[in-house]
Amino acid sequence: MIPLRYNARSLVRRRATTIAAALGMALVVFVLAASLMLSSGIKKTMTQSGRSNVAIVLRKGSDAELASGVEKAHVSLISAREEVARDPAGAPMTVGEVVVVITQEKLGGQGAISNVMIRGVPENVYTFRPSVHVVEGRPARPGTDEVVVGARVRGRFKGVDLNQSFELKKNLPVQVVGIFEDDGSSYESEVWGDLETVRRGFGREDGVSSVRVQLASADKMDAFKTAVESDKQLQLEVFPEQTYFEKSSEGTSAFVNGLGITIAVFFSIGAMIGALITMYASVAQRRKEIGTLRALGFSKVAILTSFLMESAMLAAAGGVLGVLSALALGFVKFSMMNFASWSEVTFSFNPTPEILVFAVIFGGVMGVIGGFFPAVRAARVPPIAAMRGA
Amino acid sequence: MNIPLLAARNVTRNKLRTVLTTLGVAVTVLTFLLIRTVVAAWYVGVEAASKDRIATRHKVSFIMQLPKHYADTVRQVPGVQAATWAQWFGGKEPNHEGEFFATLAVEAKTTLDVYDELVVPEDQKRAWLEDRQGILAGDVIAKKFGWKVGDRVNLSGTIYPGDWQFTVDAIYTAARKSIDRSTVFFHWDYLNESLPEARRDRVGWIVSRIDDPAKSAAIQSAIDATFDSRDIQTLSQSERDLNNSFLGMMSAVLGALDIVSVVILVIMGLILGNTIAMGVRERTTEYGVMRALGFTPRHIATFVLSEAFTLGIAGGALGLAIAYPFVNQGVGAAIEENMGAFFPYFRILPDTAITAMILAVVLALVGSIIPAWQASRLRTIDALRQVG
Repeated sequence: MIPLRYNARSLVRRRATTIAAALGMALVVFVLAASLMLSSGIKKTMTQSGRSNVAIVLRKGSDAELASGVEKAHVSLISAREEVARDPAGAPMTVGEVVVVITQEKLGGQGAISNVMIRGVPENVYTFRPSVHVVEGRPARPGTDEVVVGARVRGRFKGVDLNQSFELKKNLPVQVVGIFEDDGSSYESEVWGDLETVRRGFGREDGVSSVRVQLASADKMDAFKTAVESDKQLQLEVFPEQTYFEKSSEGTSAFVNGLGITIAVFFSIGAMIGALITMYASVAQRRKEIGTLRALGFSKVAILTSFLMESAMLAAAGGVLGVLSALALGFVKFSMMNFASWSEVTFSFNPTPEILVFAVIFGGVMGVIGGFFPAVRAARVPPIAAMRGA
Repeated sequence: MNIPLLAARNVTRNKLRTVLTTLGVAVTVLTFLLIRTVVAAWYVGVEAASKDRIATRHKVSFIMQLPKHYADTVRQVPGVQAATWAQWFGGKEPNHEGEFFATLAVEAKTTLDVYDELVVPEDQKRAWLEDRQGILAGDVIAKKFGWKVGDRVNLSGTIYPGDWQFTVDAIYTAARKSIDRSTVFFHWDYLNESLPEARRDRVGWIVSRIDDPAKSAAIQSAIDATFDSRDIQTLSQSERDLNNSFLGMMSAVLGALDIVSVVILVIMGLILGNTIAMGVRERTTEYGVMRALGFTPRHIATFVLSEAFTLGIAGGALGLAIAYPFVNQGVGAAIEENMGAFFPYFRILPDTAITAMILAVVLALVGSIIPAWQASRLRTIDALRQVG
C-alpha cells in the first residue's frame, strides 16, 4: 500500500486548491450540522420538560393548550381520581393553568410587535415542576399582580425584565419580580403570573386552559386516560405530557429539518463537483508520478485506494472544520415562531454526538464519491506511456 | 479572431473539467434560486398584501374577541367603504387530520365586498349566500379533499367542539397571488346560533376596505381612537403590517436563509476560482509562448478573465434552465398545493433569476482575479521553462 504520507504531502503541495476544495466541503458539513442541531434543539426545548408520569388534560378536539378549556368543576373531578399522586399533606398533585397570548412591543424592533405567552399558574407550581428555579429576584407572591419571566424572554419585549412592569391589558399592570430558568425548556420563553390575576384579566373565571396531573406512577397513565376519556360528561382528552410536547414541536422541527437537509443535499452536489474537479486535476498533473509508482510495483488497486484516501482526507479536513464551526453555534440563541402556539420561542443549537459524527461521515462519503472517478482514472494510467510524458 | 473569443473557445480544451465546472455552477445557481425563492415566498404575502384593507382586533391578544356591534361602529368611520368580520374556527377535516387550513366563520353578505379578489361564479355565490350551512372553499383545498359543489361535508372544530355539517356551495379562485386558496369560509350566523347565550355575538376580528390606501395610517388611528374609551380596546393594522408582524416571528429563519444564500455564493466562487487556477497552472507554458510572441500581460489577463466569464454564463444559464421547470412546475406547485396556507405563491421571480445570473458571472470574474493576476505576472522565460 502507498503510505498515507504521500497523499498528505500531495495535498499540502497543492495548498491553494486543497484549501478551496476543503472549504467547500466544510460549508456543506456546517450547514448540515447546523440545521440538524437546530432541529434537535427545538425538540429538546419543547419536549424536555415532559415527564412520563404527568398527563395533560385538554378539552376534546383541541390540539393545543391555547384552544382548550376545562371547567372548574371538572378540574376537581379529575383531581379526585385515585390514579393521581398526592403530596405529603394529602392534596392532589395537579395544576390547572390558564394560557393566553398577548401582543407586546419588541425591544429594538422599531415598534414591531409580537406575541408573548402568558401562563396563569397556581401556588403549587414550583412543587409540581421541581426543575423550575427562580434564579434572580424572587417568586411572585400568590394573589398579587406580580409575575416572573422566563430567562429566554427577558429583555426581548418592552417592560419584560426584572424590576420592570408591563400591562397584561389596559389598566392591568404587572410587576416583574423574578427571572426563572428550566434547563432551557420552552417555559423559559413564557411569562408566569398569578392564576387568579390572569383569569380575571382575560375573562376566564369559569375555568382553566389545561390541567396537568401527576400520576402515582407512570403505568397508571392508561387507566387514567381511559377513565377520563370515557366519561361523556367531561368531554376531555388526556395525553401523556411527553406525547403532547412532541406533537406540538413536530411542525416547527420538521420545517427546520426539511429546509436544512434540502439545502445540504444541494450544497453537497456542488461540493462533490468541486472535489471531482480538484482530484481530476490532481491526477492529470501527477501522471508521471503515478506511472512511476506503477513501475515500482504498486498495483492498480493500491493506486485506486491511495487516491480515494486522498480525497477522503480532503473531505475529512473539510468535515472537521465544518463541524467545529457548527459547534461554535452552541452560543447562539435562535428565536422563531412555534407553529403550535403562534408565539415566539427561543431555541438553541443542540449538538449531539450522533449529529456531529453523522455530519463528518457525510463529509467523508462526499469525498469518496467525489474522488472515485478520478481515482479510477489514476488507476488506469499506463505506466510506460505516462513516464515518457505521453 | 479576437482575444475574448479565443479564450471562450479555450474552454473546450479540457472538456470534462468544463462540463464539471458548468455543472457545479449550475447546481449552486439552482440552490441559490431555491433559497431566494423560499425567502421571496415568505415576503410575497407582504408585498402583494392589499394596501386598502385594515384588520381590527382585540388590543390585548389575538385570542380574545370583539363584540359584533364594533363592526357597525367601524363602518361609520370616515374612509371605510365596507367592513366584515371573521372568527377563527380551527376546523379539521376528519379524513385529513394532519392538514392545516384556515376555517373562518364570516359575515357572508359583506365578505366578498371586502375580499374582492375572491373569484366566485355568480350562481355559486348566490347559492352560498342563501345557504346558512354553506361553505365557500378555495379551489386548492377543495381539490385536496375531493370536494365538489353540492357535497355534504363534516368538519370537526378544535375551538368549537363537535362535528359541524356543511354543504359545499361555492369554490373560489383568486385574482391575486397573495391570496390563500385553501381557506374555508362559512356563515358566522350558523356558528353563533349554535353557541350558548354567554358566548354569542362575538367576533375574532373586523376587516375593512378603505377608499384611499394613502390614508391607511390615519384611518387605523381613527378606528382605534373610537374604541379607546370603551371596555375593549382595539388594535388596527393594515393587512401589510399584519403580515409583516407574522414575518417578524420568522425573522431568525429568514436571516439564517440569507446567510446560507451568501454561503452558497462563496462555494460557487471557490469552485470557479479553483478551476480557473488549475487551468492557468496547466497552461503556463502556453502563456509563456504567447508572451514570447508579443502578447502583453494585459492580453494574458483578459484571456483568463474571458474564460471565466464564459464559464459563469454557461453555468448560470444551465442553472436557470434546470431551476425553472424544477421550481415552477415541480417543487413550487407541490408546495403551493400542500403548504398553501404558508406559501400561497412559490415561484421564481424574474428579479431573483436576474440576480442569480449576474452573480454567477460576477463571481466567475472575482474568482479568476488572482489566477489572472498570477498569469499576467509570469516572466516569459520562467513560464517557458516550467515543466508539468
